[in-house]
Amino acid sequence: MLKRLIPLLAVTLITGCATLGGGSQSMVIRAKDKVVPALVHVRPVKEVYTSGTREEVAVLGSGFLITGDGYVVTNEHVAGEARQVRCVLYNQDEVDAEVTGIDPYTDIAVLKLKTDRTNLPHVKLGDSSKIKQGQTVLAMGSPHGLSRSVSEGIISVTDRYLPDTGDDKVSPFNTWIQTDAAINQGNSGGPLVNTNGEVIGINARMLANAQNVGFAIPINVAREVIEQIIKNGRVSRSWIGETLQPMTAKTNDPNQKGVVIADLDPASPGYEAGLHPGDILLALNGKPLNARFEEDLPAVRKAIADMPVGAEVTLTVSRNGETKDVAVTTIERSQLRGQQAEFKEWAFTGVDLTPILARQAQLPLGRGVLVTGTQVGGIADSAHLDTNDIILRVDGTDVAGVDGLKNILKPIIESGKRLVMLEVKRGALTRFVLVKQESEPQAQAAGSNMTEGESGLVD
Amino acid sequence: MLTNLVALIAVATFGQSDGFTQKTIAQAYAQAVPATCVISYTAEVNNPGTGQTAKREGSAFGLVVSASGLVMAPGHMSYENAEASNITVEVDQGDRRCEYSARLLSKPEDINVCFLQLESDKKLSLPHVRFTQSGLNLGDPILMIGVLGDSLDNTRAVATSRVAAVLEKPRTTYCLDSSMKIGFIGGPVFDASGHAVGVVGFDLTNSEGGDMYTRSGHPLLYQASLFQKYINAPPDENAGSAADAWLGVFGQPLTDDFAEYWNLEKDGGLIVSTVIPGSPADTAGITSGDVIRRFNGVDVRPKVDAEVIGFTRLVRDTGIGKTVHVELLRNGEPMKAEVTLVARPKPARDASEYTDDVLGMTVRELTADVRILLNLSEDVNGVIVRRVRSGGAAALAGMKPGIIILRLGDKAISSLEEYQDAMKNLAQQRPGEITAFCRAGAATGFLRIEPNWGEPAPKTESAIAN
Repeated sequence: MLKRLIPLLAVTLITGCATLGGGSQSMVIRAKDKVVPALVHVRPVKEVYTSGTREEVAVLGSGFLITGDGYVVTNEHVAGEARQVRCVLYNQDEVDAEVTGIDPYTDIAVLKLKTDRTNLPHVKLGDSSKIKQGQTVLAMGSPHGLSRSVSEGIISVTDRYLPDTGDDKVSPFNTWIQTDAAINQGNSGGPLVNTNGEVIGINARMLANAQNVGFAIPINVAREVIEQIIKNGRVSRSWIGETLQPMTAKTNDPNQKGVVIADLDPASPGYEAGLHPGDILLALNGKPLNARFEEDLPAVRKAIADMPVGAEVTLTVSRNGETKDVAVTTIERSQLRGQQAEFKEWAFTGVDLTPILARQAQLPLGRGVLVTGTQVGGIADSAHLDTNDIILRVDGTDVAGVDGLKNILKPIIESGKRLVMLEVKRGALTRFVLVKQESEPQAQAAGSNMTEGESGLVD
Repeated sequence: MLTNLVALIAVATFGQSDGFTQKTIAQAYAQAVPATCVISYTAEVNNPGTGQTAKREGSAFGLVVSASGLVMAPGHMSYENAEASNITVEVDQGDRRCEYSARLLSKPEDINVCFLQLESDKKLSLPHVRFTQSGLNLGDPILMIGVLGDSLDNTRAVATSRVAAVLEKPRTTYCLDSSMKIGFIGGPVFDASGHAVGVVGFDLTNSEGGDMYTRSGHPLLYQASLFQKYINAPPDENAGSAADAWLGVFGQPLTDDFAEYWNLEKDGGLIVSTVIPGSPADTAGITSGDVIRRFNGVDVRPKVDAEVIGFTRLVRDTGIGKTVHVELLRNGEPMKAEVTLVARPKPARDASEYTDDVLGMTVRELTADVRILLNLSEDVNGVIVRRVRSGGAAALAGMKPGIIILRLGDKAISSLEEYQDAMKNLAQQRPGEITAFCRAGAATGFLRIEPNWGEPAPKTESAIAN
């Protein structure tokens, strides 16, 4: 027993010495030196519309410079919906930035510093297809606002699939790099770096109530998105209305190739072209599509999304054992989140319905405005307009989205018309909501309280 | 003012702040206690969120209301997700306590009480409480008889209170002081003259299956007029309540503001807000926005939310198959419609269930109320998963309560019978995996279930190895 223990100890000591004294540590320091000057501490002021009013919330995150003239990459959940973004550079310079573009589907935002400098230190983007499980990585950024922090770990898993939990936190088009390098709140948008000092990922998630289970967006996915945002200000993707499941949802037989169509939006090109849930999708324009396991799904989704918008594509599907080709003309995939707005006079906030919400409500796309909040005591609240109501009509006029509702309400609010009729969808039911646009009753109530002070007390 | 003053003096003279003399209390106690009983039962409670079922011991305070052994008990013995079984009733007959087994009769829909029938080989002749129907007023003193806890040997006790509030809509009941002790729920209530006038009750909350206007969370006095009919004619345990008539609309009261907006008279009405597709109202051409003013010769004039349920009751009691005239306003113009009422669709709590031991789950037919709750369109057919047995084949495949099964293998499922048939067919083929096409929320997807067909018993060694 003793004999076996000693060699083990010796080996441990030797490898320990090697790690500490050898090239590994200097590699880490060299890698760190390459990236730290390009780190950006990001301080956006976001606009939040959930409580019936527009609120401004200051948040903290991380980012990094990718060009000498001031393009900064961070997460969409850091800088999206931001009214202004203040960036603090490595040398503590504070520079304002504008949001060049965002992509909620991959959680990436690109900022442009308002600066004339062209020689800003910036990072080199690596190749995330070459990463290996177990390789050393560094996470950098501002955990809990502590800027210019570096932590070290390894790649725990190269292609972690995070299933969609329906809360917009999961990218459908990529798997994630899982790392045990310490990542905390505030690390969001910061780089995950290999020992050559190249950025291989963007830190974006961590598992709550776990230790050192963090997730980064692979840089190869991010690179395409960043390029599109810089070029077009946005990312465009194709959509045919499909929801996919891996083949294991239907069979455990490894010889069955393809990917399962689990669902089709009834208002989609795929549905109109005659695709059915249960069809096995085998190829896209002749190129095979395979997803036996969940991890394989993002690549298939991306292959479809990467088709040009408006192009006719040929899908090869298998239905009841028969293989056939189906031509589908793609349309542009809608944004992940709808446009939000505050209706200040009536003290409520609303949002456009996404295709998923529209489908849940059994409404055609583009109809209605979803109420996201009402302020207590406001006009909307007093009329018993509720959060999650969908406003369908105002005084008999159909409402088409937030912009449409604004246009309808503007003259109504200006006219001060006493009663305004809303037709809302509340769950499966419709309901009439009568909005009273007057402030007189409140004034009267206040007046009566003043003249009859005692009865006011009794109340 | 003067009469008030006189009454006050009278009470003061008695020296009884609660309005009862010791003699009245003793008489009421002696009369009622032999009719009181403690009910023990096993409650099977289903958690609709997880689908798990848990059993627990339950007890309730009850009251013998007929000589032949009809017992009235709090309605919480039976509600949406809980069912009582193994019922034992211990009746206090002064010097001795007799135990009976009992069966639960079908629960009245309009009041949260349960009725039980004691079982006995010989004809029973039990002391019982007779109720007097009398009006009560705010502040009337009342006397209650309840039971102290198990640790005090279930000794009967008295308490006095006053009618704390009179609730008018949608039906008259009375609020009691909220500091009511639990052992008094289900116990008899006496008025100042010593007559039994009702029982202490609790309405169901929404999640327990109570309707929108129940007064959950506050002890109530259910006066005798609410339940005497069930004592006279006990609800049958098998027949279920007679089906109610149904029109198929959801409505709102025509408040004065709505009347002003539409230029209508400010004297109430029912705004039809939603018409259920395929319902009698739909067939008769009634649409959203119509205002119902008269139904079967009865004025319909709700002006506040609580009055809408009165219309529901009016329709319910009109009779299935009956054709009635409905007078309504459409865009301000009077109109008439003729509607033939049908039976109200079965609610989820009466829906049939099937427990599938092979897949380890219980499925339930899709009822109209669940369709509305989940906003399902007419073309969605299937069975809804009610419970999933932990560790069973369905659970391992990720099946969850609330998921709707649309297809099993290549068989479309639109009813419980079709589900059972499909499983019967599959049982003959014993496939290693079954693909269930399901709907969760608005989306569909597949779940691959590896059924447990009940393989031949494993060899002894492998059983040990496991």
